Amino acid sequence: MKKLIALLTAAIMAAACLTGCSIPGNSATTTTATTAAAVELIVFAAASMTETLTKIGSMYTAAHPSVTLTFNFDSSGTLKTQIQEGAGCDLFISAGQKQMNQMDKTADAAVNTEGLDLVLQGTRVNLLENKVVLAVPKANPKNIKNFDDMAAGLKDGSILMAMGNSDVPVGQYTQKILTYYKLDEAALASAGVLSYGTNVREVTTQVSEGTVDCGVVYYTDALSAGLTSVAEAAKDMCGQAIYPAALINTTTHKDEAQTFLDYLKTDEAMTIFKNAGFNAAA
Amino acid sequence: MDWYPLYNSLRIAAISGVIVFFTGIFAAYYVARLPRLIKGVLDVILTLPLVLPPTVVGFFLILVLGPNHPVGNWFLNVFNIKLVMTWYSGIFAAAVVSFPLMYRTARGAFESFDETLTFSGQTLGLPNTYIFWRIRMPACKQGILAGAVLAFARALGEYGATSMIAGYIPGRTATISTTVYQLWRTDNGDLAFKWVIVNLVISAVVLLAVNMLEKKKTERWSY
Repeated sequence: MKKLIALLTAAIMAAACLTGCSIPGNSATTTTATTAAAVELIVFAAASMTETLTKIGSMYTAAHPSVTLTFNFDSSGTLKTQIQEGAGCDLFISAGQKQMNQMDKTADAAVNTEGLDLVLQGTRVNLLENKVVLAVPKANPKNIKNFDDMAAGLKDGSILMAMGNSDVPVGQYTQKILTYYKLDEAALASAGVLSYGTNVREVTTQVSEGTVDCGVVYYTDALSAGLTSVAEAAKDMCGQAIYPAALINTTTHKDEAQTFLDYLKTDEAMTIFKNAGFNAAA
Repeated sequence: MDWYPLYNSLRIAAISGVIVFFTGIFAAYYVARLPRLIKGVLDVILTLPLVLPPTVVGFFLILVLGPNHPVGNWFLNVFNIKLVMTWYSGIFAAAVVSFPLMYRTARGAFESFDETLTFSGQTLGLPNTYIFWRIRMPACKQGILAGAVLAFARALGEYGATSMIAGYIPGRTATISTTVYQLWRTDNGDLAFKWVIVNLVISAVVLLAVNMLEKKKTERWSY
């Protein structure tokens, strides 16, 4: 047994010595330095932009090989908290003005309650507009045809509706719709007719899985998930769903991030957005 | 303060605890008796929820119990019972994730059981059920109870699978874990903290119970 161990050890040591010797020609091929310094841009974007931005991102990196894009898609409220807590982020695209305002020092103090200054001044633009729709599961078991049916069903407790929570932009738009119909959200919540999701994709999944009777999502999410949307929210119901974009002032790649943001406004990128159901912000 | 999440969490954990107690000890008893190969495979399957991320467990549960999927669809059509987005959906999630804890602890307790006691009982003509409940179980008491308490604690703290299959419906499916997350996300940090304290107290009590059971075990053999 000892002889075997000794033999094995000798074999391993010999192999280790051999790997140390490298053929002189090899080292030259391993040091192919790229002339442009590789830049990684971290983009935090609203969950509703998952498919469109991923596609646009791969188009962009094909045209700009020195840039790699890393996306973080989630509810805008969650993203704002992550940025606030120090997550590295170069560009932030929110699904609602509120989250951007909460980090913008020029915004109203009533909205920017924590006095955050994270938005790089001069880079903030309104990028996209989305529509808020009422989506139903495939079979539409509760036969909901419009927002009036939704309001009636909520009031008499006959339906279960999925909505984003108050931290999610689409949830905030839903709250406005409930106010428009003079419904008390707290009363509905204690009646057990509201199912809260932590981002718009959770709401979308609940509707597509049929675990709720209806849900308020964006038109783009209904399209991408193949959901039936029965009604579109009018402007006086919840206002406009505008997506602002801005650089974060802790970014170390200001120029590259600005170039990418500018690219998002080009016709090429806007075609992708429009095909998914977005509109350019006026 | 709305105490529904506490009531809901406790009842889900209690019911799931009872289910898991019986299924766990029966699985532990019968799996030990199977031939080696089947025992190995079953062992892996039954312990899987322990190592899988709870979100994976939640995903599978929706795949089975969701209204668009076989079992959920059947229950909906035949009994008009929705298996997801209700308070009892949390029981499925809690039971699945805490089952391996009970199962493994019970197996460990049964394997350290002195089988000669079984044989003595059989020579005395006692039925097998008597031997199981009146000889084996009391002898493995500490291990079994510790497993049950751990399973209860795990069920109480279940979040990932519960949030996927039961969602968050205030007053209906809210548990302590999902409530804390939602409160934190909606700028209600103070209320979330209160729930954190409540959960800490319950968890501390549960773990204290486990420790006391363990202590009893060592004291028994310390002559």
